[in-house]
Amino acid sequence: MTNLKAKYEDLPEDYKALGGRGLTSTIVAKEVPPTCDPIGLHNKLVFAPGIVTGSTAPTSGRISVGGKSPLTGGIKEANAGTNFSQRLARLRIAAIVVEGKVKGNEYYLLKLTKDKTEFLKADKWVGKGLYDAYKEIFKEFGEKKVSVCGVGIAAELRGAMAGISFNDPEGLPSRYAGRGGLGAVMASKGLKFIVVDDTGAPGFEIANKKVFDEGIAKVRDALLAHSVTKKGGALNSYGTSVLVNIINEAQGLPQNNFSSGQDKRAEKISGEAKAEAIKKNGGVRPHFCSPGCIIQCSEVWTKPGGKDPVGCLEYESVWALGANCGIYDLDIVAELNRACNDLGTDTIETGGTIAVAMEGGVIKFGDGKGALSLTEEIRKKTPLGRILANGTQFTGRAFGVSRIPTVKGQSLPAYDPRAIKGIGVTYATTPMGADHTAGYAIATEIMGVGGKADPRDPKKAELSRNLQLATAAIDASGYCLFIAFAILDIPEGLQGVVESLNGVLGTNLTVNDVSVIGKQIIDIERDFNKAAGFTSAHDRLPEFFIDEKLPPSNEVFNVSNEELDSVF
Amino acid sequence: MTIQIKLFGDLRKKAQTEAPTGGSPITLTIDDPKLERVSDILRKLGIEETEVSHIFINGKYSGLRKKVQSNDIVSLFPKNMGLLYKWYFHRDEDE
Repeated sequence: MTNLKAKYEDLPEDYKALGGRGLTSTIVAKEVPPTCDPIGLHNKLVFAPGIVTGSTAPTSGRISVGGKSPLTGGIKEANAGTNFSQRLARLRIAAIVVEGKVKGNEYYLLKLTKDKTEFLKADKWVGKGLYDAYKEIFKEFGEKKVSVCGVGIAAELRGAMAGISFNDPEGLPSRYAGRGGLGAVMASKGLKFIVVDDTGAPGFEIANKKVFDEGIAKVRDALLAHSVTKKGGALNSYGTSVLVNIINEAQGLPQNNFSSGQDKRAEKISGEAKAEAIKKNGGVRPHFCSPGCIIQCSEVWTKPGGKDPVGCLEYESVWALGANCGIYDLDIVAELNRACNDLGTDTIETGGTIAVAMEGGVIKFGDGKGALSLTEEIRKKTPLGRILANGTQFTGRAFGVSRIPTVKGQSLPAYDPRAIKGIGVTYATTPMGADHTAGYAIATEIMGVGGKADPRDPKKAELSRNLQLATAAIDASGYCLFIAFAILDIPEGLQGVVESLNGVLGTNLTVNDVSVIGKQIIDIERDFNKAAGFTSAHDRLPEFFIDEKLPPSNEVFNVSNEELDSVF
Repeated sequence: MTIQIKLFGDLRKKAQTEAPTGGSPITLTIDDPKLERVSDILRKLGIEETEVSHIFINGKYSGLRKKVQSNDIVSLFPKNMGLLYKWYFHRDEDE
């Protein structure tokens, strides 16, 4: 960005088998000094579609974004589902590496087409909400031809909870590479939008079509057969927020800044309530985030009469902006989600931030209107807004809160680690900071992990390690993590994933290589974090999870430090 | 023995009360000395084992053969609410 110049390089030989998180973490580890200032000159921002993204592989419209995180101070990969990923892949762009920094305070829009790259002035959208900005950009560049990526007001503030937004099929800024403040990195370089137009693109390359086609057929069959991923299954019927009532029954749904694990009012913000309301209000359900997805877990929430679309209301968002803040009104939760999308913030971090602000007395728990007014502080760029835009840890400290639910500075997601200890181990040990998707999985049986433990039995290290390895591998592949539900139970599905990778790359991977690939990625990330100053002392949960019993089960997080250190 | 059964999602139809709305479960109170295990409860309510995904007893993730005690709260979810990071949950069972 320093000279407003774009350079094309052939993908180096040793990157040929990488994609998604594998590619972003490799490039970041190689090219970013681990002790650099995340919003300074030397950080880089890397965008990479997955290995099969852009092909006819089902449920694979995913893009990874990587860099050094302003929130955690460590390496970060954030992942989004959007057709932006597929347009890039069809242009045969394996990665975009954004480096340097614009000299002044201007912002640019990077336009990518088959034949050229252009840096266009983007200042007219500074201070504007992303819903309006996206409308204007699609109008200017051609609704059907382009995909859009952008950062909002929170990123203009260099807020550490600024995410990177991408368009959904309706052109709304609702798909996010949200976690870890990578939006601030993008803005710090003077880059506000990327528009990709793949007209005339060469198209996706496959080394061995026969192997590829056989592989994706197996993946497709698994997705269509499994009760979680099939048409009319859990994800298709209710979306991810089907988990609200489930985790509430498990007594692990954090309420009021992780003060308890269950509340009867949670049913009002459940997936079932949401699906019914969307039907009544004339919204869209089900819906895919990117073409080719056969799970279709997504939706468009609207006001009555189909007006003022927000986008999807994910489990994590509904929990963070709802139950964790003591707010049990879906209309208000939806408006808070709209505010996050409009300002360009991560919904999980925003919910955690509002909750610690509530604990710190800025507003009361349960005050939905108050929560909305806090988001307006960010929009107006007030000093309070600047505090909030920097996330849960920063806001908690500013208001004298000691019960701050973060690991490596990143806000915990929607499972209390005292009720579900295995996920607590993942929160503590993943290089990403407190992250629920990092420990997502592939078949535990296939990976050789015994599924025999009690969820409240602390022996979780081996499980977490294997889950993290498998997840890293899926993050690199370009498939959506949700395929894991199907290929967990249907081994041919996992076989199909591996075959499709072999078909694209011309390799001979087996199922056993999945954890090897995952381990390579995790090793690269852990090495970066170590050089950035992380030690085992950072692989810990906040002490209140150990000291404070979680009602109603009265569990504490009692996994030993030795066991946490044995994960890797 | 007296047990509370919470039926979620489509399983609410088994309660044969008015049509359920929103996300609220329907809670049935059952008093029956012959109920020993979760599978007995399903049989009593006319629910096939294949229609059920998650089972919680007092918040603990459980299996079909788990024995129930008086005053237990048993939560049942239908097949199309089967989403869960299963790898972190193991079904508690009795032989």
